[in-house]
Amino acid sequence: MNSGVPDAVLTRRDLLKAVGVVTIAVTGPQLRSRPAEAQTPKRGGTLRTSVISDPVTGFDPHQTISFVTMVPLSFAYSRLVKVKAGPDVKPMTYPLEPDLAESWSRTDETTYVFKLRKGVRWHPKPPVNGRELTSDDVKYTYERFLSVKNNGNRPVLESVERIEAPDKYTVKFVLKEPNAWFLDNLASTSTWIIAKECVEKFGDLKKAESVVGTGPWMLERWEPNVRLHYVRNPNYFVPGLPYADAVDVLIDKDPSSRLAAFLAGKLDFAPEYQHVIRRLDLAVAKQRRPNLQTAEYAWFTSFSTGLKIDKPPFNDVRVRRALSRAVSLAEIHESNAFSQGQYVLNPAVPAASAEWSIPIDQLGPEGRKLYEFSTADARRLLTEAGHPNGFKTEVEAPGTGYGPDFLDAVQVTVKNWKAAGIDADLKLKEYGAFISSTIYGKFDHMFLGLRGAWTDPEAYFYRVYMPGQPLNVMNVNDPKLTEMIKLQRRTFDVPKRKQIIYDIQRYLAEQAYFGTNSSTKVVSAWEPHIKNYMPNNGFDYGGRMMAAWIDK
Amino acid sequence: MRRYVFRRFIVAVPSLLIASLIVFTLPRLIPGDVVQLMFEEKSYAKDIEEMRAKLGLDRPIAVQYVEWLGRVVRGDLGESLWTRQSVVDELGRRLPVTALLGFEALAVAILIGVPIGIIAAVRQDGPLDFVARSAAILGLSIPAFVMAIVIILLPAIWWGWSPVSTFVRFSDDPAAYARQFALPATILGIASAAAIMRLTRGMLLEVLRQDYVRTAWAKGLRERTVVLKHSLKNAVIPVVTVLGLQVAQIAGGAVIVETIFGIPGMGQFLVEAILQRDYPVIQGINLLIVMIIVATNLAVDLTYALLDPRIRY
Repeated sequence: MNSGVPDAVLTRRDLLKAVGVVTIAVTGPQLRSRPAEAQTPKRGGTLRTSVISDPVTGFDPHQTISFVTMVPLSFAYSRLVKVKAGPDVKPMTYPLEPDLAESWSRTDETTYVFKLRKGVRWHPKPPVNGRELTSDDVKYTYERFLSVKNNGNRPVLESVERIEAPDKYTVKFVLKEPNAWFLDNLASTSTWIIAKECVEKFGDLKKAESVVGTGPWMLERWEPNVRLHYVRNPNYFVPGLPYADAVDVLIDKDPSSRLAAFLAGKLDFAPEYQHVIRRLDLAVAKQRRPNLQTAEYAWFTSFSTGLKIDKPPFNDVRVRRALSRAVSLAEIHESNAFSQGQYVLNPAVPAASAEWSIPIDQLGPEGRKLYEFSTADARRLLTEAGHPNGFKTEVEAPGTGYGPDFLDAVQVTVKNWKAAGIDADLKLKEYGAFISSTIYGKFDHMFLGLRGAWTDPEAYFYRVYMPGQPLNVMNVNDPKLTEMIKLQRRTFDVPKRKQIIYDIQRYLAEQAYFGTNSSTKVVSAWEPHIKNYMPNNGFDYGGRMMAAWIDK
Repeated sequence: MRRYVFRRFIVAVPSLLIASLIVFTLPRLIPGDVVQLMFEEKSYAKDIEEMRAKLGLDRPIAVQYVEWLGRVVRGDLGESLWTRQSVVDELGRRLPVTALLGFEALAVAILIGVPIGIIAAVRQDGPLDFVARSAAILGLSIPAFVMAIVIILLPAIWWGWSPVSTFVRFSDDPAAYARQFALPATILGIASAAAIMRLTRGMLLEVLRQDYVRTAWAKGLRERTVVLKHSLKNAVIPVVTVLGLQVAQIAGGAVIVETIFGIPGMGQFLVEAILQRDYPVIQGINLLIVMIIVATNLAVDLTYALLDPRIRY
């Protein structure tokens, strides 16, 4: 055992970094931000950003998977390892770096030992009152993570057999089986380390008062429907950080008033998810806010289609192929205010995971065809499947939560399907109901939602297609696929694992186990006085804003 | 008068009781097992039995109603399932916000609607009347949410200025607290102002044709005296009735305007409560709305007597 980062991890990370740099250089995002200036960071000021919803699902990270909870928590909590952030990290790459862990080692295929930073203190707030974080906190957190009923993120750490805290600053994870993604799993924005005292005092962590972490800022105030206000954590364990004294998160559900606030200089970051500005508004934003900094990259977020694949008619691969062939992705994106026709095609692993997503032209012939829009071919496939007159079905979608552009895309999809003979009756559900019931399989025929919460590529096939997984709502139980998924998880050699994952994506496309989809090439924007900032995919707003400073 | 007021209060009691029964029963008539849904979607309790007990559903419905009513009379509306706070406390925080917004909106409606209605009636078929009537049609035609978005967005696009800012609490800055309602209240009040203007104009025109008004003109009284002293009082009685109805309309409009302007009032809270299936809050807000409507109607009836001495109860 060594006290540093093990060679295996470093090698993979270095390799990923190299692959990432090459990939980005060739096909990746076109960054429009000005190069980082060699200036001395300034401390102080308030970073002003916005979110599109209240944390309606509460503040307990173990009782929801929703971004409306995880984004606010990202300012106040820490985890063992995290996705690196800052101007030197290109969007669409997700290199890992230590957070609460000082170092770690993999002592054998199923054992990880983490050494915690010493002297990390909780926020100086009751009921924890700034006591030192110890390995018991980590053990308590992950035992709760795995035991809370309805924790939709449980699969993130389900490979853990037991957690030990041999001394105050050491945590040992023993896994049930080798898991090459374990570090990436720990970097998920659902693995925040929580304090036992808060759970004991409040019963759970749904209340704002229970938000006591070790992160860069402390939640000072939550005014429902108005704002979340954070102030600097005086005990933060990274010396000198955060630069900003406070973060003011405006809660504004109305896209017009959010945009108006940004145009009027009342926000430092663009007003949509991940600090994105809709392309529709980009010209006026650049006119109103001269020298606006921007970065263009592909969102992880894309359509997620759920089918009852074990029941007719969706148990027929030709019907599933018809569903994809019938949809014009171009039409969806032309009318989309975010993309205005700018998008990337997604195989099973979204293109936003630049290192792991297979290029569409490397899919098999049947897989490639899925992305070729043809109403006639869709009709032919349906006829071959015994539905010459098409069929009637029902599709559920969230009527709230994802905004009007999502609903526009749903309408275009349903219209496209209808043209091919698939008459899908659209049933809109409230977001909270959708996120807590439909996506866990409580639907009768089909659903349309969004995916894109995960920065580790494995989640896009492991959680969706492995038998027994809560999000395997299509009840896929395909031995060949299952074997491939297990194999990649056991494969620590990165190039070999990448090949297996490419094979998985080819197989998934061939079987049409997912609806073809695409991601918007979005533009994130931020004010010129915000320095040392770079957007990226994922819920970790706090992590990305921590190193930003205000040059005013 | 006192007897009338007392009688009206007595009559209001059955209205409130019937309303409370509806408010209590409606959530229980929603198809499907709402409790099951709430438990699965929201994890408001450890298990389904605890969920039922939390909502008081583990007893016969008549017992539930009587118990609930008993608590309501004592001022206890239960606990919000979402925020875990007392519903009375939650409403107590939000009611003043919506009440001030509604009050300012009503003031805007009266201050714009009545004077313009008078001018339009006095200058019937003249340019002023034409402009006033056109503006009224415009005000009635444009929904409050469209007007709000245009007013918020266009100045931001043209001049980089936005009227919307983060909500200021009364304790932080009382003046800014009151000021921030001006624009949403104006938007909310404009549709009501249009309705009031049209009604004031119509009623005043009718009164101005009455014999006693002609007599007043014949006596050589000044126009101001004839219109404001002799005609207006009789003309505004129907306007007062409409004002009562406008309270309900403004309360409905507040739901949208509060969302657009980020005002944490009852309207937003009701929407959230519905989305969160937070039935104690939904019941509490609906009961409060019923009480406000009943009280408004009572106030309207009493105002008649003040405006027209011939009306005696």
